[in-house]
Amino acid sequence: MLSNKEKIVLLEEMLELEDGELTEETVLEDLDCWDSMAAIELIALVDEKFGKALKGQQIRQFKTVEDILDIMG
Amino acid sequence: MSVGTLRDVKIKGMACAVPENIVESAGFNERFGAENVEKFVKMTGVRQRHVASPQQTASDLCFAVADRLLTELEWERDSVGAVVFVSQSPDYRLPATACVLHKRLGLGENCVAFDVNLGCSGYVYGLFIAASLMASGDIERVLLLAGDTSGFVSPNDRSTAMLFGDGGSVTAMEKDPGAEIHYLFYTRGDGFKNLLIPSGACRNMDGSKIITEREDGNQRSDFDLYMNGAEIFSFTITDVPLAINQFLSHFKLTVDAIDMFVLHQANLFMLKHIAKKIGVPFEKVPLTIDRFGNTSVTSIPLTIVDQCAGMARKDELKLILSGFGVGLSWGVVSLELDASVCLPIIYTNEYYTDGGL
Repeated sequence: MLSNKEKIVLLEEMLELEDGELTEETVLEDLDCWDSMAAIELIALVDEKFGKALKGQQIRQFKTVEDILDIMG
Repeated sequence: MSVGTLRDVKIKGMACAVPENIVESAGFNERFGAENVEKFVKMTGVRQRHVASPQQTASDLCFAVADRLLTELEWERDSVGAVVFVSQSPDYRLPATACVLHKRLGLGENCVAFDVNLGCSGYVYGLFIAASLMASGDIERVLLLAGDTSGFVSPNDRSTAMLFGDGGSVTAMEKDPGAEIHYLFYTRGDGFKNLLIPSGACRNMDGSKIITEREDGNQRSDFDLYMNGAEIFSFTITDVPLAINQFLSHFKLTVDAIDMFVLHQANLFMLKHIAKKIGVPFEKVPLTIDRFGNTSVTSIPLTIVDQCAGMARKDELKLILSGFGVGLSWGVVSLELDASVCLPIIYTNEYYTDGGL
C-alpha cells in the first residue's frame, strides 16, 4: 500500500504540478488544473494503480486532496 | 451478455465519406483559451474534424458512398434485399431515412428498409442486424448504411464542441458459405442520461433553444447534446475491456491471432487505457480520431477504410470491432475482411436538393 506522500506524488504528476505543490489539505476548487479532464485522468489513475472503478458522481463530492487519497485506499 | 455467431455472411465492399470542410481544434483557442484547447487535444487526440454544412445530412454522406459502391460491385439495384440506416441524425422525424435512401439509390420494392437509432455502438449492431436478416430468410444482400452529423452540439460547450466529426459509411454484405461473424452485446439503460439530447423529439417538445450556462458549467440549449464525460469514461474503461476479454475467451481467440482491434474512436486517452487493459499492443489499434474526430457510428468503418484502402486481396484480415457509448450500449464483433474490398475515403459536400415538400 502506498503512503499518502506517494499518492500525492502520483497526483502531482497527473496534474503536471511541481513537487510539493499539493498537500492533504489542498482544496481542489482552488486549483486551476482541477477540471473535467483532470477528473477523467483521475479515473484512469485510480483504475490503473489501485484497481478501483471511480465514478464521476464520487469525484464531484471531493473537496480536498485528502478525499482523493481516502478513495485510493 | 448476449453472445452468438452468425454464419455464411461476408462483407463484400466498404466505403466512407466525410465532408470536405475541415475544422481545426486550434480554431477554438480564443473561445476556450489556448491552454485548455491544448489539453483537450492532448487528451482526446482530436486535432481536426470534417464538418458538414447545415444542408448536408448523414444520409447524404451515406448515399454518396453507397451509390458508388453499388456501381463498383456491379450489383443490380433490385438485388439488394435490405437497407438498414444506423444513425442518430436522421433526415426527418418521419419517415425512416432508410426509405429516403431506398428511393435515392433506386432500389427495388422487394426490399426491407428501416432505421436503427444507435450511436457509438451502432456499427457493431448494424453488422449483427444485417447478418441476422440474411440468416433468417431469402435476403441475399444487405446495405448497411451508418452515418452521423454533429449539428446538435453547442459551440460554447467545451465538453463536446471540439470532439465530434461528421461521416457516413456503406457496408455491402452478402451470403457467403463458411464466413462467420461472432457477436457480444450489453446494454445498461440506467446510464441513458449520460449522453442525451433532451429536446427535439417527443419527451420535451417545448425545450429552450437559448444557450445558457448549465449545472455542469458548460453552455448549451435544451436542443444540444449533453455529455457527462467522467461517467462515460468510467463506464468505458471498466466495462469495455471486460467485454472484449469475455469475447476473446468465449470464442477461444488470442490477441496474437487478431490483426486489428478497431475501437470506436471516442477519445485517444481512453483508447490507450482500454488497449493496455486488454493487453493489446497499441500498433494493433488503428486511429482516425486525430484527423476526423469522434465520428459516432461512422468511426469504426472509417477507421477500417482508412487502414485498408489500397491493400491487396491477399491481406485477409482478422478484425475485432468494439463500439461503446450512448445508451449505455456496448458490443464486440469479430469478422474476417478482404482488405481490398475497401474504397478510399471520399470527400464530398454534396447534399440532396429534393428533400422538402
